[in-house]
Amino acid sequence: MSRTAKILSSLFILFWVLTAFVPALIAPADPLAINPSQAFQAPSGAHIFGTDESGRDVFTRVIHGAGDSLYIGLAATALGMGLALVLGTAAALAPRWLDEVILRVLEALYSVPSLLMALLIIAFTGPGVGPAIVAVGLSTAPGYARLVRSQIRTLKNSEMLEAATVLGRGTWLKVRNHLVPNALQPLLALVTLGIGQAVIWAAALSFLGLGTPPPAPEWGAMLSAGRTYLHLAWWLSFFPGLAIVVVAAGATLIGRALGGKVKAL
Amino acid sequence: MNPLLAVDNLCVSFAGQQAVNDVSFELNAGECLALVGESGSGKSVTARSLLGLSGGTVSAEKLMVCQEDALTLTEPAWQKIRGSSVVMILQDALMALDPLRPVGREIEDVLKEHGTLNSKARRVQVIEALASVDLPDPERRMKQRSTQLSGGMRQRVLIAQALIGDPQIVIADEATTALDSRLAALVLKQLAALKNEGRAVLMISHDLAQVAQLADRIAVMRAGKIVESGTTEQILNHPQHEYTRTLLRAIPSGVPRFAPLSIKATASEPRQLPPTEPDTTPALVVENLSKSFAKHPAVIEAGFVLPRGSTLGLVGESGSGKTTTARMILGLERPDAGSVTLLGERFVPHSEAARRSLRENIGAIYQNPLGSFDPRYSVGQILTDALSAGRSKRASGYKDQVARLLEQVELDPALSGRNPRELSGGQRQRLAIARALAPEPQVLVLDEPVSALDVSIQATILDLLDRLQQETGTSYLFISHDLSVIEHMSDLVAVMYQGRIVEQGSTAEVFGDPQHEYTRSLLTAMPRLR
Amino acid sequence: MKLLAWLGRKVGGALVVLWLVATAIFIGVRLIPGDPAEAIMGGPGSQASAEALANARSEYGLDLPIISQYFLFLAKLIRLDFGTSYSFKDPVLQIMGEVLPPTINLALMALVVAWLLALLFALLAMRANKVGQLLGNAVEIVAAAVPHFWLGAVLIMLFSSMLGWLPAVANGTPAGLVLPVLTLALPLAGFLTQLMRDSLNTAMGSQFALAARARGESRLTVFRRHGLRHAALPALGLTGWAFSSLLSGAVVVEAIFARPGLGRSLLSAVLARDIPMVTGIALFSALVYIVVMALTEAIERLIDPAGAES
Repeated sequence: MSRTAKILSSLFILFWVLTAFVPALIAPADPLAINPSQAFQAPSGAHIFGTDESGRDVFTRVIHGAGDSLYIGLAATALGMGLALVLGTAAALAPRWLDEVILRVLEALYSVPSLLMALLIIAFTGPGVGPAIVAVGLSTAPGYARLVRSQIRTLKNSEMLEAATVLGRGTWLKVRNHLVPNALQPLLALVTLGIGQAVIWAAALSFLGLGTPPPAPEWGAMLSAGRTYLHLAWWLSFFPGLAIVVVAAGATLIGRALGGKVKAL
Repeated sequence: MNPLLAVDNLCVSFAGQQAVNDVSFELNAGECLALVGESGSGKSVTARSLLGLSGGTVSAEKLMVCQEDALTLTEPAWQKIRGSSVVMILQDALMALDPLRPVGREIEDVLKEHGTLNSKARRVQVIEALASVDLPDPERRMKQRSTQLSGGMRQRVLIAQALIGDPQIVIADEATTALDSRLAALVLKQLAALKNEGRAVLMISHDLAQVAQLADRIAVMRAGKIVESGTTEQILNHPQHEYTRTLLRAIPSGVPRFAPLSIKATASEPRQLPPTEPDTTPALVVENLSKSFAKHPAVIEAGFVLPRGSTLGLVGESGSGKTTTARMILGLERPDAGSVTLLGERFVPHSEAARRSLRENIGAIYQNPLGSFDPRYSVGQILTDALSAGRSKRASGYKDQVARLLEQVELDPALSGRNPRELSGGQRQRLAIARALAPEPQVLVLDEPVSALDVSIQATILDLLDRLQQETGTSYLFISHDLSVIEHMSDLVAVMYQGRIVEQGSTAEVFGDPQHEYTRSLLTAMPRLR
Repeated sequence: MKLLAWLGRKVGGALVVLWLVATAIFIGVRLIPGDPAEAIMGGPGSQASAEALANARSEYGLDLPIISQYFLFLAKLIRLDFGTSYSFKDPVLQIMGEVLPPTINLALMALVVAWLLALLFALLAMRANKVGQLLGNAVEIVAAAVPHFWLGAVLIMLFSSMLGWLPAVANGTPAGLVLPVLTLALPLAGFLTQLMRDSLNTAMGSQFALAARARGESRLTVFRRHGLRHAALPALGLTGWAFSSLLSGAVVVEAIFARPGLGRSLLSAVLARDIPMVTGIALFSALVYIVVMALTEAIERLIDPAGAES
């Protein structure tokens, strides 16, 4: 990564961390404060993102929503990635037959589209924030697991490890000195790309009314609520969605700069 | 008679970088001119600018191609010339043919661009062209893709593609490079036939020995300039320029063991080996090694003995099983049968744990060393890791030893902080050698160690290997497809063909009086200057 | 003979995958705390009648040991008996027959549009200058990062509310299809373009492209004869994934544009916790994925017989 890219990425991450933990720093108003006389104000100097049907400031709500949206995205990625690491590494290092079995299971899980699988899980658990995290985490895990497996396999069969074998290195040294450090960077890229996707999936669940319930200022839920007034007040849907796009595109850019490939997600 | 090619002060530059500088030559019908030089000499760019495909900014006082002023040609006019009047045969037949299209279609494209024939007539012509280059069963082969053909068939397809447009000028850009000697000989034969038909042949190559078999005149290029040109006889026997002499000297065939190939190398008087007790256990004993992949035998009952302090050259064409043999010897591939004994102790078959203590006695060098280095390590870290047996990659405590290793392989100690990616091919190979030497092994397995290098660099690496062997008494198993390298480097030679060692013996015996049919055909195909 | 063996392997693999999906669902249902009969009939909130619960219990053999329940479940699936949807009051198979075609239609159309857009972009990118390349790169990344539910809303705002060109709801006319298809196709086109540009650049810079130019072909001819195949191949390999992401997107798009289909039925089934319906949809979407994968593999083998062998 170039220096500029590093600085920009760090600033981007810092901004969202701040927004998530101390939203009042950027938007000091109360995101839930109702003011019916100010309902449906178009974006202006006073309300740069406008106001919603109850007169709440959309900008304040978008900023305060970052915490929830990012939390679900991060937690889901952590769950999915953790599972993927275990399954993928096991498959890559396991004997052939076990690898085959794990691959088959992964393929089966992969064959159900992510959002459908998330919905399936919610059918069992019922809606809510916790189930949304589990649903997004579990539904993204098979894809990651396959990537982790192929990455570790490539490393395992690399000339680098062969050269280490010829030099007489034992398994432990090979894993510690070469396998783990070289696997980390691509995994980091994968995680970064994954966070962008998870934020989208989590928001999609809220949008469908299965994640964070209103009136909490979660982006997907806001978008869903704003949809009713699409013809009347476009800003209600536009800005929460924009926040998602910014996070997802930013994560994609950073992930790509770290050497990740988008295609396999 | 007007020359078919007349080039006067040709310059090509890429974004201000001069790649070709004031190059001038002429080429007549029925004549072969060779542009000889190493990578970066600008020979390929020169060739491409004769087709208007250099991709850079071209200027010249004169650039006549088939009596047309190439400097004023428009793109459509170029397209008319390319493939009909002037054709180019590219280096790697596998890369030069689209892997997703049947080869017949690739050849047919020439006719599509230049002729008015209907598709049926075109097919007939393609089959004729393939038959004329002795491709067996052309009707079936033309429907196959390049990846389904053998190397020899692919080369024939490339030549057929060049011939079908009935060109006046044939440019062969490294058309024989990286080919097994029998294949290279085939291509040379075809090019000679083209020349005898009255076409002009421009050969681009790094290999003086090969070029000498065909070229009437040779121009030696270096860093974008022609440093010397003359008839083949003049260049080979009375080279004037220092660089020409370097190139000639670098050709290993016929040069006695340990005689230097590079000018820089300190003249070697065979140093006495350190006085050790005369140990008669061989360095390596390989017995009956066999390996099949998915029922296809790759190696069949390979066996040989590598005595201490000497070099055994394992020679064969690509796919003959050399590399699989090496991998089995190194304990990287489990053989179906057979055994390897290292310094009198069992090495293969054995469990990796049991083998590990013996590993310090055997090292390996590959064709492309870059992949064998951890990409995160610097030169110094790679060597420290090797010296400390993987316990550390920090220099503390190993600084002197690292410096000594670098000195031993003639690498600048200042390179120690660099990443191997930033090194040249020759420097990488030196680093690989230094790393292999760190545990002071008794045996080195060298798998095509110089095949990816320029001739002059190859010479310096071979000289280095010679020097190291004399200093340390290490035994080499030297694997190569290049007979001239094998002849120069080996005390003993084993010839491998279709998975079997068909002949082995001392270098003088095998090269002087080959017994096996295959060895004889290899040697006939081998170009010789001395 | 080779083809038969291939077909056999595909069918075998498909059965294994379907069996695994079914097993996962079976385990999932038993993991729900409380009475499985109640779970199947929509959870505690559904207030199913005692009679309905008793029916479910006998239908699914819930008083039998768990192993027998499992085999009963599988036996029903093999007979294509997915049970009756409790929220739709119809056999699941019948509902699937109604909701699957519109969704598959939508996804297929989006797939075709995405491919066309990606090819167009890739061709433009090849001819673009440096600024154009950068711009194209930015558009791709944003396109790939746009959630369907937002893109749908923005498109409705633009083309329906502001310009009034297209209807905001799918009303069965061709015009009503434009926005849903675009909503699905644009993000996918972003992904595909990225892929195609990479492989197109590699192909156009390769030795065989140079050889083709040396034969006298123009750049456009080289693009047509060589570049396109090489650009399409990796993107084609992702069709299975792409189709599966389109089915995901269809859930959202059908909700936004009030279009009947698999996604909307799934959503209402999930909200009603209608397990038989959900099971049926999961199995069918897995089947769709498997079929699409097999089809793409067949096409890949046509383009690159040697590559597919290895």
